[in-house]
Amino acid sequence: MQLYAPTSTAAKRKAFRAPPLANLEGMRLGILENGKLNAEEMLNEVGALFVQRHGCTIRTLASKRNASAPAPAATLVKVAQEVDFLITGLGD
Amino acid sequence: MPAVSPRIHEAPDDLLAAIDYCYEQGWTDGLPVVPPEVGRVRAMLASESRAADTVIARHPATELELSLHAAAVNAVMAGCLPEHFPVLVAAFEAMDRPDFNFHGSTASTGGSAPLLVVSGPYADEIAMNADVNLFGPGNRANATIGRAVRLILRNVFQMIPGISDKSTQGNPGKYSFCIAERARGNPWPLLCAAQGYPAGVTSVTVFAGGGFCNVENHGGNTPEQVLGSVADAMANYGCITLGQSVVILAPEHMAIVAGAGWTREQAQNFLFTHARRSVEGMKGVGKYRDREYDTQHGDAASSLVEADFVHRGLSPDDILITMGGGDAGGHSCFIPSWSRGRGSIMQHGPINLGRK
Repeated sequence: MQLYAPTSTAAKRKAFRAPPLANLEGMRLGILENGKLNAEEMLNEVGALFVQRHGCTIRTLASKRNASAPAPAATLVKVAQEVDFLITGLGD
Repeated sequence: MPAVSPRIHEAPDDLLAAIDYCYEQGWTDGLPVVPPEVGRVRAMLASESRAADTVIARHPATELELSLHAAAVNAVMAGCLPEHFPVLVAAFEAMDRPDFNFHGSTASTGGSAPLLVVSGPYADEIAMNADVNLFGPGNRANATIGRAVRLILRNVFQMIPGISDKSTQGNPGKYSFCIAERARGNPWPLLCAAQGYPAGVTSVTVFAGGGFCNVENHGGNTPEQVLGSVADAMANYGCITLGQSVVILAPEHMAIVAGAGWTREQAQNFLFTHARRSVEGMKGVGKYRDREYDTQHGDAASSLVEADFVHRGLSPDDILITMGGGDAGGHSCFIPSWSRGRGSIMQHGPINLGRK
């Protein structure tokens, strides 16, 4: 019996990891908060530790309008041009 | 992205062994599926004139795509008949709109399930159930269309329980959650008409439903009594958010509400006004948030919003109300939105039968 696979026929997306940073000293840090309760507060605390310990500068604080939807592509493109690394996470 | 050809598996000719083969591939919702034999898939596609590789929905995060072909494969597995397929297609075309956010609503700990409400003449043509045991088992169209939604989410979009589907508890609607609006004896315009579709067009409404709450009231004899008990269910501390609502009134309850001359709009206004909790009470259970209160009470607030109260939803339009179920019994239901509110907004679309 011949069966069709019930999976997507979309071609697999090519994904790759960004190269790791050699060090964090003086790097530009972006923060992407997801809009949930306490997200901004928690991420700002984390960001402050990077500033304190590694001399990072916080360049961007981006917010998602919808916590559970992917960040808009325009947001990610903009952030990618302005920062060396980005932290994000769920608040709750 | 360019599509690749659908993969064909060589499974045992013995039907029971083929069912086992589907289990082994991880293609099921836990129940046996109809093996998606190539001939049955082609028959499922016969109701569509568009090319089988036409994409009808995309996953916003993974970019996985749902083609008509993949939808047909899963429809066969769920037990759908070819005449059910246009409903499934229309549902995913509606869910594909960004505001529905089907990724979030199916991945979230909130555990919602897409509820489909089919409104219009095609529901009868394919023998959908809008009557007794509305949300229960026994009707092939309701059961299999809803099940096909789940199989597509699992197999095509890879929303795998415990991996990408992180539902804390889920809900039984995640097996199947599909009903028809009851037209027989319905005193209000059908949803498809209220949604603005021309006569003869059937619509499907999709809603990320967070569960099911039975509203029992056998003693109320006025609209205020009946809808008051519905509003109380909508405003319980476990459910109240800024989210949308679906309310399916039992025919007995509808007879009381519409029998007193109330329109759908009046009922929506009543429910929005009364489905509320005080700010103090919300603070008492730890659910009060300034940001949400400001959203509901800001410049664009509904005129029915009352200061120092949190209402369910942002306006009466956030409450979909219609009739469904058997003639006997004072049992309506309220279906809350997914999780904390407005992450998913209900959508509707026409069921296109012109492609036959």
